[in-house]
Amino acid sequence: MSDNPTANFKQVHHSVTKIDAKQLALGKDSYVGDLAPREALIVKMLWSPHPHARITSINVSKAEKMPGVKAVLWHGNVPRNIHCTAGQGYPEPSPYDTFIFDTKVRHVGDRVAAVAAETAEQAEAALKKITVKYELLEPVFTIDEAMAEDAPIIHDEPEAYVPIPIPYDPKKNLVAMVGCEAGDFDQGMQDADFTFDDTYETPYAQHCPIEPYTSLAHVDSAGRIVITTSTQVPFHCRRIVAQALGLPVQKIRVIKPRIGGGFGSKQEILLEDIVALVALRTGRPAFWQFTREENFITGRTRHPIRVRLRAGIKKDGTITAIGMDCWNNTGAYGGHGLTVVSCCGSKVLPLYRCDNIHFDGKVLYTNLPVGGAYRGFGATQAFFAMESTIDKMADAIGMDPLEFRRQNHIQSGDSSPIFAALGEGKEGTPMTIDSCALDDCIAKGAEAIGWDKRTDWRDKTGRYRRGIGMACLMQGSSIPHIDMGGASIKINEDGSFNLLVGATDLGTGSDTVLAQIAAEELATTTDKMIVYSSDTDMTPFDVGAYASSTTYLSGEASRKAAADAKRQILKTGAEILGLPVDQVQCVASHVQNTDGSQKVSYGDIACYALYSKNQYQIIGTGSHFTEKSPPPFAAHYAEIEVDTWTGLIRVLQYVSTIDCGTAINPALCEGQTEGGTLNGISYALTEQYLFTNGRMTNPSFAEYHIFSMRDKPPIKAILVPSYEHSGPFGAKSVSEICINGPAPVFANAIYNATGARLYEFPFMPEKVLKAIQAVKA
Amino acid sequence: MKKNPQTVQFTINGESKTFITEPDEKLLDLLRREGYKGAKFGCGQGTCGSCTVLMDGRAVYSCLLYAMQVEGHEIRTIESIGTHDNPSEFQQELIDGGAVQCGYCIPGMIMSATALMENETHFDDETVREYMDGNLCRCTGYEKIWSALRRVLDRQEAQNTQS
Amino acid sequence: MKLCEFLRPASLSAARDNLRELGTKGMILAGGTALHFMQDHTPVTAVDITRLGLSYIRPDGNFYRIGATTPLSDIQRYRAPRWAMHEICRRISTHQIRNVSTIGGNICRVFPWADLPVVLLAMNARMVVYSDHENEYSADEYFATQPAKRFLDGNILTSVKVPALQAHHGFGSVKVSRTTAAFSMVTIAAVLELDGSIIQSARIAAGSAIPFPRRLPNVEAALVGKEAVSEVFKEASTKAARDVPWRSCEGQSPEYSQHLAEVSILDALERAATFAHGRAE
Repeated sequence: MSDNPTANFKQVHHSVTKIDAKQLALGKDSYVGDLAPREALIVKMLWSPHPHARITSINVSKAEKMPGVKAVLWHGNVPRNIHCTAGQGYPEPSPYDTFIFDTKVRHVGDRVAAVAAETAEQAEAALKKITVKYELLEPVFTIDEAMAEDAPIIHDEPEAYVPIPIPYDPKKNLVAMVGCEAGDFDQGMQDADFTFDDTYETPYAQHCPIEPYTSLAHVDSAGRIVITTSTQVPFHCRRIVAQALGLPVQKIRVIKPRIGGGFGSKQEILLEDIVALVALRTGRPAFWQFTREENFITGRTRHPIRVRLRAGIKKDGTITAIGMDCWNNTGAYGGHGLTVVSCCGSKVLPLYRCDNIHFDGKVLYTNLPVGGAYRGFGATQAFFAMESTIDKMADAIGMDPLEFRRQNHIQSGDSSPIFAALGEGKEGTPMTIDSCALDDCIAKGAEAIGWDKRTDWRDKTGRYRRGIGMACLMQGSSIPHIDMGGASIKINEDGSFNLLVGATDLGTGSDTVLAQIAAEELATTTDKMIVYSSDTDMTPFDVGAYASSTTYLSGEASRKAAADAKRQILKTGAEILGLPVDQVQCVASHVQNTDGSQKVSYGDIACYALYSKNQYQIIGTGSHFTEKSPPPFAAHYAEIEVDTWTGLIRVLQYVSTIDCGTAINPALCEGQTEGGTLNGISYALTEQYLFTNGRMTNPSFAEYHIFSMRDKPPIKAILVPSYEHSGPFGAKSVSEICINGPAPVFANAIYNATGARLYEFPFMPEKVLKAIQAVKA
Repeated sequence: MKKNPQTVQFTINGESKTFITEPDEKLLDLLRREGYKGAKFGCGQGTCGSCTVLMDGRAVYSCLLYAMQVEGHEIRTIESIGTHDNPSEFQQELIDGGAVQCGYCIPGMIMSATALMENETHFDDETVREYMDGNLCRCTGYEKIWSALRRVLDRQEAQNTQS
Repeated sequence: MKLCEFLRPASLSAARDNLRELGTKGMILAGGTALHFMQDHTPVTAVDITRLGLSYIRPDGNFYRIGATTPLSDIQRYRAPRWAMHEICRRISTHQIRNVSTIGGNICRVFPWADLPVVLLAMNARMVVYSDHENEYSADEYFATQPAKRFLDGNILTSVKVPALQAHHGFGSVKVSRTTAAFSMVTIAAVLELDGSIIQSARIAAGSAIPFPRRLPNVEAALVGKEAVSEVFKEASTKAARDVPWRSCEGQSPEYSQHLAEVSILDALERAATFAHGRAE
């Protein structure tokens, strides 16, 4: 970059106050639960107690007669339309394998029957009166069991299919397969001086948004269904509910108010079909909020993945081959199964230069909780393997792991065959890296953690041993040629603007970021923006909040909409000033001539256009899809202390650098980075699903351990500047990447402290202790 | 279960009020039903803190108290703290510091912090962590909430030592 | 637990009468946090004893007397010479729970993971129970079985008497948990009585990863008469397996639980020795 375009920014690249912060800090009614009318019926669900069973009979007649009960829904009285609950592009790269209710249950926590009653107690009492007879089937709990000859078939319904041309073989519990090759992997392994072949396992996890899944529906006066729901994907929600209920999209309106966190979990349609049906059947508003237990058991989870990583290197540190084989356990339903495993390859393999690459991903059904989208989306799982192996490579040739990464990582101007080979359900898009400040990330992070003081584990003694570990990471920014966002912007008499976006702020601050982008383009201030997101009746389409797409993709849509409105403002301003349009410009909420001696305010321009002459509404629209998915880059570091007597780990400091291009709102970027990092930290150390016969036995915050302010180690987020020319004002994504770091960083730090190498996490003390004892032996 | 309507009287945000309730009703449900919706439902198990209110100046989980338990006590909710025109000092720091992401935990955080500020005069880090350990946030990593709170506490402590 | 009625008796004797009359249909409410997690769905009548003046901490001869409905946060904040009860209280659950949950509630119905019984056993505390008059029970007697049985016929725990530690006493506790608010993986408390550097007597108790909190007599026996030094502590800690079968806990194996207990006993003893030699506070 010869000049620094960010220096002139007045709205973007500033920590503008998040526009909904005050209403939320005041505790004003904002979330779905706050908007439910008192007369709303309460929905409760009877969940399967069995991991795999056929429902041979259900009797709901007693439940229907229970006090307060207004509706009981089960497979005998709802439409049977096959669909997919994952909110993705259309047609989805996921199998259609779900009904509103089915005659089979496929995991503990699968739907059996729903009751809507006047009160929660009445609904729960009625659930107890439903009698269900099950024929128990042999359950499948591991990917090995799922792949076994004669394995029980989890999806034997004849309707199941996948709507795009990819392999799908439910008779073998196979949800999807994907693979690619570049160069000659076998030759690359033969050419290597050192080879590596290790298998890594990553665990289940839940997103744990503090607001549980929550949905509300009512039938409006015109007979249309209005669903107000805590979702990341309002437009996909409308489409999927229409599909499941067999109704036209036209009949449904989905409103997303403020959302209490999602992290991927709310990219799934798990409640909306039921509340819509109840509202339709009863004419009453219907409200359903998951309990925390339901959030864990039947909410979506992170896909556990087994990664076998084979690689070869030369003595000089050249990587000659990387082979990654992934087995993805998608649980009882296949949503996101293929795309998550694809991202194991596509978001990880390009990080290091290598000519000979092999990638293979398989996705399998089991009778366990259902995987879904979760921040990091496959990259989290595969980076654990990749970044652990990278440290092993450096160790094998006696090179500093930091130097080894610096020597091998992708740079501006580089490409990777993986970009073209691996897409989401289809081939990918070739891409050359534009912005990449990974070297700066590595350098700044190393300085912050004190990499200089790092010593070899063999020099350490005593009970408590400290270790420093690092990892490098990348992600993407939206899905090229699949994701799409739209925005519109109109002016009001006082020069304020209504910015209507389909993009879905789920607590990240994207409304603010999009307002900043529009304000920058319009040469006005962010506080002039009244942002509304998202409402399928009112706002333009957007695929929703996922794939690290909102700033990069919807941001560009907002910029385009603002540019469209700006053209109209300039034209009308010029008309008022009596100047040719090419002699005016927008400066500080005014249209003015070159030296500023003649000017007219946006408010006056709006009044002129709305009331005075040649009347029209100044309104701009913009849509955007992307040609590429520029990766943000990150280098993460941690210093930890291992108690070698117990295996307990204390995190002393964590440094999370990120190159996200232009940070549109630095404070919010830091907040994303700090939050995602802490989520990754507890995922690596304390979060776990414990199972007994397929039932999660620890579905509460008392037993599923996420960190509090008291547990939190110091986290230092460092934004490292770069400029991505394809993004709005140089921006790329920020949200997901940071969660990928802690597991490999800690694995490498544990090794640096003790010489023990762990291949699966969470790094529970018993596991750590065993690994330490293995080193001693 | 048979209904057993009873009344409970307590002070809410400075006003003495009487509510009809049942022995089994949780305080959180009563509050939300009566329009005090700043206290949120997050877990119903006394673990996440989004339902935190003050009882006689102490932070408590309203999901883990029966409404009948607060008879005669003084309850304060987020509705008593700050307005659009005049947010509290901590609210303003949270807003300015970019500490509010999804915001679902924030009212509870503010109530715990209020208890801290009103009950203590010295705010060493360990004391602050102990007061704030019952409010979970999944968005922020607590860094910005922590530094917003620290700014308020440092000012308050400086004032305390001056006076 | 479902409540069908809520009583606020005006006196201790009225509370006792209410409870006697209600029998199994009555339930004492001291802080009430545990009631929400009891799986019994038969509706009960709550008898609220939080308004009977049972929230206090005061010196009482050679004891500190803690009222049964004193919340954990009050115990956490209380300070007095050689007072040690705050250490464990600041490690129990979260701030909001500590504000409501009471010492009585914690020890009238003892859950396997409860921390307070472990400390009270080590401290040789005495429990005061009211029926028609007040009876005192030693911790050993009180925690010999599930104390809840003691309260079936309307008896009410009114206070806990914790011995004031003397200059030659050392106290140490260790709670290992995955996060600060999490249930314990293992809790150990130790009180050593020293004569110079020689251990005159030792009370070591454990909780979590065993079925019920209890003392560890084999560990204690390995300490008495010995010098209060690390080698002795280490040797004594290896006796933990003789005292009780350790069991798996949140996915950790019984073998690991035992190992963790041994290390924690050692750590608790080291802390107790430091305490006896004068601690910085």
